[in-house]
Amino acid sequence: MSSKKLNRRDFLRYGLAAASGLALSACTGAAAPGGNAPAAGDPTAAPADASEAPPPAEGKTITYWTFWNQYANAVKVFEPALQSLVAPNKVEVKTGVQAEEVFLTAVAAGTPPDVGTGHHYIDYMSKGQAVEIDSYAALSSVLKPDNFSPAAWGGQFYRGKHYGVSGIEAFVRRGLNYNERLVTAAGLDPEKPPVTWDEMLIWHKALTVFDAAGNLTQIGYDPTDAEGGLFATADGSFIPDSWGFKWFDVKSQTFNIDTPQMAEGMETLAEFVRIIGPDNLTGMRSVEGQGSWGGSFNAEVQAMIVEGYWHPGETAQEKPDVAKLNRATWIPVPESRRGAKVQQGGGHMVLFYKGAKNGPEVAWPVAEFLNSKEHCDPVFSSVGWLPDYKPYLATVDGSAYPGLDFYLKSVTEANEWNYPLWCEIETFVGNQYNAYFEKVYRDEMTAADAAAALQADAEKEWREAGYAS
Amino acid sequence: MAVASRKWPRLSRMQRHDLFYGVLFASPWLIGFVLWTVYPIISSLYYSFTRYDLLQPPQFIGLTNYINLTTDDDFFLVIQNTLWWVILSSPIGVASAFLMAVLLNSRIVARSAFRAIFFFPSIVPIIVVSSVWAFVLNIQYGAINATLRAFELPTIPFLSNPTVVKPTLLLIHMWMQGGAMVIFLATLQDVPRELYEAATMDGAGSWSRFWSITLPMCSPVILFNMVMAFIGGFQNFALPWLLTQGGPNRATEFFAVFLYRNAFQYLRMGKASALAWILFIVIVIFTVMLFRSSARWVYYRSE
Repeated sequence: MSSKKLNRRDFLRYGLAAASGLALSACTGAAAPGGNAPAAGDPTAAPADASEAPPPAEGKTITYWTFWNQYANAVKVFEPALQSLVAPNKVEVKTGVQAEEVFLTAVAAGTPPDVGTGHHYIDYMSKGQAVEIDSYAALSSVLKPDNFSPAAWGGQFYRGKHYGVSGIEAFVRRGLNYNERLVTAAGLDPEKPPVTWDEMLIWHKALTVFDAAGNLTQIGYDPTDAEGGLFATADGSFIPDSWGFKWFDVKSQTFNIDTPQMAEGMETLAEFVRIIGPDNLTGMRSVEGQGSWGGSFNAEVQAMIVEGYWHPGETAQEKPDVAKLNRATWIPVPESRRGAKVQQGGGHMVLFYKGAKNGPEVAWPVAEFLNSKEHCDPVFSSVGWLPDYKPYLATVDGSAYPGLDFYLKSVTEANEWNYPLWCEIETFVGNQYNAYFEKVYRDEMTAADAAAALQADAEKEWREAGYAS
Repeated sequence: MAVASRKWPRLSRMQRHDLFYGVLFASPWLIGFVLWTVYPIISSLYYSFTRYDLLQPPQFIGLTNYINLTTDDDFFLVIQNTLWWVILSSPIGVASAFLMAVLLNSRIVARSAFRAIFFFPSIVPIIVVSSVWAFVLNIQYGAINATLRAFELPTIPFLSNPTVVKPTLLLIHMWMQGGAMVIFLATLQDVPRELYEAATMDGAGSWSRFWSITLPMCSPVILFNMVMAFIGGFQNFALPWLLTQGGPNRATEFFAVFLYRNAFQYLRMGKASALAWILFIVIVIFTVMLFRSSARWVYYRSE
């Protein structure tokens, strides 16, 4: 008669069988939305059998992702209004979604959010991952060209097709901000900020401070920081903006980097770093809080910074005492361009992603909501951001944050506008620019050679990445 | 001529039963190995012959990715940086681990505490190590430079000068040799005492005992640690990425950093896959060379 006792071998065998069963059942999961099975709560989906119970009265879940962490504070405030707008559907908002590790991976894996912003706009638009929204925009009362600046409106398009919905953080990107207290302490007049690079250099020298032992204690202007350090990004390119040229011709898809203006720009900015000392600058930027975007201005170890409209508001959230001292004006230009008042539009936008569970037919209200007062008020008050949406901008108080008024007025006063050029290899070009600029300020290369090398690198990458016709 | 056919041994019912359950129990690992190791390896080989940006289907372009690298100045800069690192960091790292182990194998006060202290850096997450060193070594606010400044001595741009940054990373690398040190320590404790006793009776001094007994007896483990150091050296990523992001002036742009940049910043996955395969071939060549040379300097007790 066989023993009823469970021996070790049987225990393992049954255990394995049970575990395998569990694993298999877990793998099968629920019917995938978008499959043949009707989605739960989909009001358009009829039950397969009349005898079956009707689906519960709940809607679809729209996923909305953004890469910003600080946006979470505003989400808490506007979420009830958003949920009520999309009911019976609901929105699952995720903030702080890492742009590469999570967002890009999700898009590449075919599991993107329905709507969201995760940088890489040009990659998603140019590589067929973003949904064209021309038909939705045509019916929208929000997404109309008159409601946006030409730069922000143009930034939503790629090769003539409409992909993006400008919003969340999308207002103008150019302004020279300076710390009134530091400027006054250096014997400079805060009422007469620099207009040209020659004047800027005078301020830089006065505001760059070393201690008795020759150690750097304060920077006047760091040309690698924030918007002033950008080249070939969705936020534009600083040297081409200031020196008045376009580094990439979208129509002919050719590069225009090897120019006298580019060389002059690199050499001019390199001089600022030489005064600080290249090693000092690298050391200063590598410290947390002073290496991060704009952190040195907030720490009052940098007196001037080129930033967008968000600078007054963000500084007020992060360092209210420093924000009170903030003043803003036009970015400097070369003497030959004195009088140019340069502004850059574009900013951030949300895209709809191919392969998402819900397309614009379901998620569109979320995108439109981003320019509503219910959304923009909490974002402005808790983070300091603005959309480039004229009806809302008309309600904004320019005195809310010191320096903000300059940006609001700049929309009508600017006489030169720039917009995102959407070059498919912009990340590569931007990184190469940083590398060559460092060679220039370390005197390993002339600025003219650097501009030529950057042009050659861009053209080579363009060919190798498969964009050359 | 008849071809001799190899026949599998006929298994008994019990053996088949055991084989079935053996394979079944090992299957989670086997499936994982095939899915997460074999498949990515084969895929990357295929991708290296394609133009692939993650977001669009790969396009076959043959050897173009490999050929393009031959005219890429950055690639050669990266090779230079990586060879500098591997050739110096591997022997220096292994030597420092071995010397630490020898010291900690001797009779010293608070030996266990010292062993724990020296081993500690190897169990601290690399992100923490990097953050701590970034603050310690910073030219403006770092502890070392603050001390130098207090004595009115010139500061040292450890992480911000292209000439100084690589030796600085080398020092941090030496500090992180706790793992190799523990392996050496175990090996040193396995060296038969009677060998030292016999040598002492024959009049051998401490240097002779180290040179003629300790070193040869540990040579297989030195080989192992050297192989691991070479492989790790070629794949060096976390420390330069977290501390310097490949700078200053691209002085720490090592192979893995360059590969990462191409794969995840420029979305040039095909080029990055080609780089990965070149790295693999270089590592194989270096490892084979090391094993070939081992016949001259590695002593196995069984020989």
